[in-house]
Amino acid sequence: MIAFTDIVGMDLAKQALMLLAVDPSLGGVVIPAAVGSGKSTLARAFADILPEDTPFVELPLNVTEDRLIGGVDLEATLARGERVVQHGVLSKAHGGVLYVDSLSLLDSSAISHIMDAMSRGAVLVEREGLSEVHESEFMLIGTYDPSDGDVRMGLLDRIGMIVPFTTQNDYRARKLIVNCVLGKNGGGEDTEDELKMLKGLIEAAKEQLSHVSMTQEQMKGLIQSAVSLGVEGNRADIFAVRAAKASAALAQRTDVDEDDLKLALKLVLVPRATRMPEQEEEVMEEMPPDEEMPPDTPETEDQDAPDDNSTDPDEEEEQEETPDMIEELMMEAVETELPDNIMNISLAAKKKSRSGSRGEALNNRRGRFVRSQEGEMKSGKVAIIPTLISAAPWQESRKKERKKKYGKVNTALVINKEDVRIKKFRDKSGTLYIFMVDASGSMALNRMRQAKGAVSHLLQNAYVHRDQVSLISFRGKEAQLLLPPSQSVDRAKRELDVLPTGGGTPLASALFLGLETARQAKTKGVSQVMFVVITDGRGNISLKSLYEQDAPKATKEEIEEELQGLSATIFAEGVASVVIDTQMNYLSRGEAPKLAEKLGGRYFYLPNAKAEEIAMAALS
Amino acid sequence: MTQTASAAKKTAGAKSGTGSAARKTSGPKKARTKKKQGQAYPFTAIVGQEEMKLSLILNIIDPRIGGVLVMGHRGTGKSTTVRALAEVLPMIERIKDDVYNRNVNEYLEAEKPKQGRKALTPEDMIVEDIPVPVVDLPLGATEDRVCGTIDIEQALTSGVKAFEPGLLAQSNRGFLYIDEVNLLDDHLVDVLLDVAASGRNVVEREGISIRHPARFVLVGSGNPEEGELRPQLLDRFGLHARIITITDVAKRVEIVKRRHEYDDDHQTFLKKWSREQKKLQKKILNAKDLLPEVTMSDDVLTDVARLCMQLGIDGHRGELTITRTAHAFAAFSGDKEVTMDHVRQIAGLALRHRLRKDPLETMDPGEKIDRELAKVLGEAEEV
Repeated sequence: MIAFTDIVGMDLAKQALMLLAVDPSLGGVVIPAAVGSGKSTLARAFADILPEDTPFVELPLNVTEDRLIGGVDLEATLARGERVVQHGVLSKAHGGVLYVDSLSLLDSSAISHIMDAMSRGAVLVEREGLSEVHESEFMLIGTYDPSDGDVRMGLLDRIGMIVPFTTQNDYRARKLIVNCVLGKNGGGEDTEDELKMLKGLIEAAKEQLSHVSMTQEQMKGLIQSAVSLGVEGNRADIFAVRAAKASAALAQRTDVDEDDLKLALKLVLVPRATRMPEQEEEVMEEMPPDEEMPPDTPETEDQDAPDDNSTDPDEEEEQEETPDMIEELMMEAVETELPDNIMNISLAAKKKSRSGSRGEALNNRRGRFVRSQEGEMKSGKVAIIPTLISAAPWQESRKKERKKKYGKVNTALVINKEDVRIKKFRDKSGTLYIFMVDASGSMALNRMRQAKGAVSHLLQNAYVHRDQVSLISFRGKEAQLLLPPSQSVDRAKRELDVLPTGGGTPLASALFLGLETARQAKTKGVSQVMFVVITDGRGNISLKSLYEQDAPKATKEEIEEELQGLSATIFAEGVASVVIDTQMNYLSRGEAPKLAEKLGGRYFYLPNAKAEEIAMAALS
Repeated sequence: MTQTASAAKKTAGAKSGTGSAARKTSGPKKARTKKKQGQAYPFTAIVGQEEMKLSLILNIIDPRIGGVLVMGHRGTGKSTTVRALAEVLPMIERIKDDVYNRNVNEYLEAEKPKQGRKALTPEDMIVEDIPVPVVDLPLGATEDRVCGTIDIEQALTSGVKAFEPGLLAQSNRGFLYIDEVNLLDDHLVDVLLDVAASGRNVVEREGISIRHPARFVLVGSGNPEEGELRPQLLDRFGLHARIITITDVAKRVEIVKRRHEYDDDHQTFLKKWSREQKKLQKKILNAKDLLPEVTMSDDVLTDVARLCMQLGIDGHRGELTITRTAHAFAAFSGDKEVTMDHVRQIAGLALRHRLRKDPLETMDPGEKIDRELAKVLGEAEEV
């Protein structure tokens, strides 16, 4: 076991953990890092810097609802003749740490339960005849490898700090890590002393914490940054203030300074950004009425309103000048942490789309066993233990009844129909429909409308079918993923609302992007993928032109060849396709059927298709 | 029916008499729940999000409005607000310790056909006042706990089949709250739809046959980006409040400050807000009292009907909800007469989720409602 102080690198993650140790109401720390970066070692070492007997519970990924929430302890119940409750993992972590490795792979229902526990500080057990409230206040440490997928935003929202993703430690640090693991360095007395010191520091900081104050300007600045970064909701604001204060406490200061604010920005706000701060002005302009409104304190005109003293007279004047410093800090934090474009800015923006979780359906046959439910014996796999549990209490009375009726009882157990419990499995079933919409040429607008309608139609059915929809538009040089696999009608509509049209037709690029999206979806458990290509079928921009700047304009044959190759791969990977031909001109038809043929898919000629018709074509 | 009575009676007996074991589990739970509730963030201290607050209040004033669906951004205080509701709710009268929270009339009606016994009279009943119950239905709840089931403990200890009421029973005449309602398992949604439509819960199992009233105000919240709500369930909600992130810095500073204050010292914070809480409670009570006196003229009613027609809303639930909501809103504003101005302010809440889904429509439903409303009013003025 490697101690907290011996871990090399991941300084920001360590800092975050220390802040958490100082103020557990920060909720937790999420550490995204690649395989082998030592993230789980660090997370486990977190226990080192906590008080002696703090619970540290590791959540297994395959945890069932029963184990997570708690339930009836069958053995003890039968033995004692009274209901004995078994506390779940969430309750066991109360007052301590809940650690989840590979957070992004956690089942979505488990995530919902964790979220619920975090928001109420307790677990409501309403299961199998039990009705209890178990305290469950814990710090959540989550680590995950971003290449495994993303963590649900709702959960991230409840966790105070998100360590920015860094791909690798530098060479020297790596070497030290190896040494450390091999035991060449660290360990021994030094480690113990260092740990002791660190613990002392944290204890001192805890006491200091209540004496730390933050100026009105600083708080405003942080919140202004949150607004500029498009951070959703209010939890982040609260966490940011707490993080800055904890940082000050750790440095044994009573005032929050610039470094503290910077740290709060880095760990709390920037990772939740949904836009780059430059965009701020536009957005602010859109909502001027809000600015004018006084802070909402109901009945402030009332003399004795309790919060009169907390509303500041200097609000208006200060607004302008305060955020300056913070803004600088923010830009600095953004730049150093996020050198790339907005799509990489964080876990936010693009990852919000992860509604894949919704694609899961409980079923009776496939997937992972989550819970048992009453059901017909024929309708699925019988869950033996739950069936026995439900039968157990009745044995005595049933046997009596039988004896009365038949004079004797032949079986050791009397199991009735209503005892039978069927296993419910969770399976990310459903189909992913990837719409590829030709946004080039003059009819593009029409096609977009059709696609939009079809998407909405499919999504409204999706609730039953657990399907998802993704949307790719192609025009100009390159195809673009407008909507990553999602089930949200709202999102689909929003993405489709503003869309430029016109230009060339990079069909190959669209197919390529579709294929990538399909592959990713399959690793996340989507069982079927279908392409719905809405086009007049004439691709005229090659994929190659994307990668080779000076490449000569591709010939018709070359483009044809590209399409041929891609289509074959798509077909080989078991992706089904539908091509919807929107070519109005009868004479220029012929390209789309060919594409359908290449893809081994079906072909529909629907130049004036209604949205429903396209949806039907995709579903048929 | 006789079975109903006897089974229910057994339960009642067990609750008050024997079950020392039963107490073991339920005792500490109650205490803890109470403690949690007592510390809930005050409703009146919640900054902004007027739509949600108003919808909830209107449902207290008239529970027949049919509940609220609160959808919107995460971390915007959806569940905090709903959980804060308990503290501003009025009291109701029920038969003492009745697990279904029935009042005298309901109780007499249900327990009437007792054989060979003297008919109960209201004078025989002991009543008590309890706060309107707010029941939390967690996502992980199993069907048996929602609907009620046979008391395992009783069965084990005494071999008696007694009914143990579930969350639906507890929520009768109160509020039933489901956070992340859009993630609720399908089979529970089915149960809810069934019960919400009929106002009663029917349990048939292990030879026990129970039917009990389960009329509750359904409150759901969720983030639309995590999944859609089943259309039938959506339709069940009387009002639909939207909630978005506040972008006003001053307000957000205030939110953070109040939150810190609350976290630092619950008691002081609650005390500071108790006046506001009482004020709101009183305002709600007054509105409840005033509600029966509130009237709506035929002209206003006609305009409402026209609005619904123009918006192409199917069925009459839209009209019914908007009328009830407008009455409650008028009462809350202290007015005895519903005007189109009242209607205007609650039309979005009552109708937003009832507009026919047009996939090509880009306009926000709220704007569309406002536009049609303006048209209706414009015409009305000309006539």
